[in-house]
Amino acid sequence: MTKSRSSVMIMAISVFFVISITYFVFAGDISAQSEEKSFVTHTGGVIMTSGEVLDPLYTSATMDFDPMEYLRTFDYGEVSTLPDGTTLREYTIVAEDDKMMEVSPGVFYNVWTYNGSVPGPTIRATEGDIIRINFINDGSKEHTIHFHGIHPSEMDGVFEPVGRNGGQFTYEFEAGPVGVHPYHCHIMPLEEHIVHGLYGVFIVDPKEGRASADEMVMVLNGFDTDFDTENNFYAANTIPFYYQHHPIQINAEELIRIYVVNMVEFDPINNFHLHGNLYKYYPTGTDIVPSFYTDMITLSQTERGIMEFEYQYPGNYLFHAHKVEFSEKGWIGIFQVHENKEQKIEEVEYGR
Amino acid sequence: MDVSHKPSKGKMIASGIIPFIFLVILTGYIFGPGSELLDLGVPLPEISMELVNFVDSEIQVTVRNTGPIPVEVVMADINDRIQPAAIEPDRFLERYETALVRIPFEWNEAEPYIIGLTIDDGTRFEKEIEAAAPALKPDFELVGLFAVIGTYVGIIPVMIGLLWLPFIRRISKSKYHFFLALTVGLLLFLGIDAIEEALVVSGENLAGSFNGVLLTVTVTVLSFLGLYYAGQKLINNSQLSRLSKPIAIALMIAIGIGLHNFGEGLAIGAAVGLGSIAFSTFLIVGFALHNTTEGIAIAGPLSKDKTSTRSLIGKLIGLGLIAGSPAIFGAWIGGFSYSPFSSVVFLAIGAGAIFQVIVVIFRMIREEGDKNLSSASVVSGISIGMLVMYLTSILV
Repeated sequence: MTKSRSSVMIMAISVFFVISITYFVFAGDISAQSEEKSFVTHTGGVIMTSGEVLDPLYTSATMDFDPMEYLRTFDYGEVSTLPDGTTLREYTIVAEDDKMMEVSPGVFYNVWTYNGSVPGPTIRATEGDIIRINFINDGSKEHTIHFHGIHPSEMDGVFEPVGRNGGQFTYEFEAGPVGVHPYHCHIMPLEEHIVHGLYGVFIVDPKEGRASADEMVMVLNGFDTDFDTENNFYAANTIPFYYQHHPIQINAEELIRIYVVNMVEFDPINNFHLHGNLYKYYPTGTDIVPSFYTDMITLSQTERGIMEFEYQYPGNYLFHAHKVEFSEKGWIGIFQVHENKEQKIEEVEYGR
Repeated sequence: MDVSHKPSKGKMIASGIIPFIFLVILTGYIFGPGSELLDLGVPLPEISMELVNFVDSEIQVTVRNTGPIPVEVVMADINDRIQPAAIEPDRFLERYETALVRIPFEWNEAEPYIIGLTIDDGTRFEKEIEAAAPALKPDFELVGLFAVIGTYVGIIPVMIGLLWLPFIRRISKSKYHFFLALTVGLLLFLGIDAIEEALVVSGENLAGSFNGVLLTVTVTVLSFLGLYYAGQKLINNSQLSRLSKPIAIALMIAIGIGLHNFGEGLAIGAAVGLGSIAFSTFLIVGFALHNTTEGIAIAGPLSKDKTSTRSLIGKLIGLGLIAGSPAIFGAWIGGFSYSPFSSVVFLAIGAGAIFQVIVVIFRMIREEGDKNLSSASVVSGISIGMLVMYLTSILV
C-alpha cells in the first residue's frame, strides 16, 4: 500500500518536472499566425512578417517635439526700446527635469528641458541688443543657463546656481559677438545636465543683416538612453531619422542658410556632409567671409557655424554625418529640392 | 502500549491543510493589498537573446524576457547600427515570454556580429556571435551525417570497450575490484565534467533569472534520486525477471552513460551548428577515445555474470546501444534546435545518472568484502580512472 503511494508520488513529481521543462524549452515555438505586414529594409528589400515592425525610420511615433517646426522657428523675444534707443529683448525660460519623452518610436527617455523641449528655444537678436532672460527653475535639481559669447562674469551661469522648485535668476547682457552660439546648463555634473537636453541655440545677427535666405537651425545631438556613456541615438534636431522620413522642402536656386551647432557628448567629433552640393562655411558665424567651400566639416563639442548653399537641380539629396555610425543611428536627413517657379532650371545652358 | 486515542481522519486532514491556508493568505496579501509594503527598489528589466540563427539575408534572434517586469522590444541593431526589423508575434513580452526578432541583413560568413535589442526604457542588450554560419537545416544528408557522427562517437567506442569483458572475467578478485574502481574513477570524472559543462553553458547563454547553478544542482539531484529509486527496484526485482543482478547493474550503468552521451551529442551537434567544424573534429576524435573507457565501465559488473560470454553477446549489443545511441539523438537536437536551457537540463540529468551509477558500484564492491573501500586496488583504480579520463579529455 505505502509502496504504491510513494511510486504515485514519484510519478506525479516527475510528470510535473517534465511538463515544466517542456514549457520552458518549447515556449518559444508556440506562436500564433496572424495577418502579414510588410516593411522596407535600408537596402530597399521588402520583407513580410506576421508580427510587428520595429523601425524608427518607417514607423511614425506620436511626438511631442516637432523637428519640422523647430527647424525654422526663431524666438526674437518680447521687444521694447530702452531710453537710450537700444533694443531690449526679453525672454522667459523655464527649466524642468521630469519629462519622459519618446525620443524614438517606443523608446522613452527622461529629458531635461528649457521651455519644454530639447533643444530649448532658438534665441535670436541683433548685435548690440540687450538680452534679458527671466530664468525660472521648476526642476528638482539646480540649473542655470550658461551662454557662449561675451558677457560679465556674474551673467555666465556658472557660479550662481538657481535653486530647485521655482528658483529664479535674471540674465542680462549685450548680444555679441555676431555668430551662432550654444547655451546650456552649467551645473555639475555638467555632462549629465547637457546630455539630458538642457541646451539651445543663440544667434546674433550682424547689424547690417545677412542676405535673405531660407534659414534653418540644426542642433546635432544624441541620447544615451542606457547610461553607458555611449550614445544610443544621434540626430539633427533630436528625433533620429526624422528628416529622412520627412524630407525638408526647399527650392532650387534659392539661398539656404543653416545654423549648425554640435551638442553631441561622449563622442569627440561629429560632422556634416551634404550630397550633390558644396556649402560655404562660416566657423562660429563670426565673420561675413566664408572660410571654406566644402561638403564636409568636422565639429567638436559645441563647435558650430553657418552654412550657405543653393541647389541647382531638383530632387532628393541626403545630408548626414559621414561618421557613418552616427548616420546609421539617426543623424541623417533629406533635402527635397523643388524646381524654383521663378527661376526656371531650363534656362541653364550646358556645354558652353 | 494501547493506542486507544486514535485521531479522526477529518482532524488529520484539517491539521494538514490549515498551515497551507495561512500560506495562501500570506502570499495573497503580499501580492494584493500588501504589495506596497514591498515596493522597494527599482525592478530592472532584462531580456536574453537565447538563440541567433543566420538564414538567407536575415538574422533571426530568439529573445526571452528574463527580468522581473514585462518589457517592450522596440528596436534592433547589428554591430550597433540601427536596422529595421520585425518581431513575431508581437513586441510585448511578459515574464519568460519569448519572441522571434527577424533582422533583414546581408551578413557575411565567418564574420563576428554583435546583435543588439533596445527596450522601451532605452536599455540596449547585446549578444556577440563569434562567427556567422548558416543555420543547419534538418535535411536527410545532415540527419544522416549526425547519425554517423553519433555512431562513431557513441556506439562504436562503447562496443570496443565492451570487448575487454573476456579479459576482465579471467582476472582475480582484487584485480576485478581494481577494474570496478577504475570504472568509478572514469564515471566520477564524467559526472564532474558534465556538471562543469552545464555550469559553463548556463553562465554563457542562460539568463540569470534561471539560476543556472541551482538549476544544475536541482536537476542533478532529482535525476540521481529518480534513477536510484528506479534502479533499486530493477535490482530487487532481478530475481523475478530474467535479468541477473550483474546485468541489472550493467544496465543501470549503460542508462547512466547513455544519458551522459546524450549530453556529448548535444555538444557536438551545437559545435557543428555554430560552424566550428575544426573544433568539432577534435571533439569527435576526443569523445571517441574517451567513450571507449565507458565500455569498460559497463563490462566491469558484467564479468560477474555466470552465463557464458556467447549467450551474453545479444545483451552486450543491447547495452552498447543503450549507452551509445543517445549520442545520435543528442547530435540531432544540438544541431537543429539548440537551446541553452535544455542543454543544461540534459547535462545535469546525465551527471545525476552517473553519480547514481557510482553509488551502485561502490555498494557492489562493499558487498564483495571491501567494506571501507580502502584497499590498494580500489584506491589505485579510482585514481587511474580519473587520470586516464583527464589525459584523454585533453584531446577533446
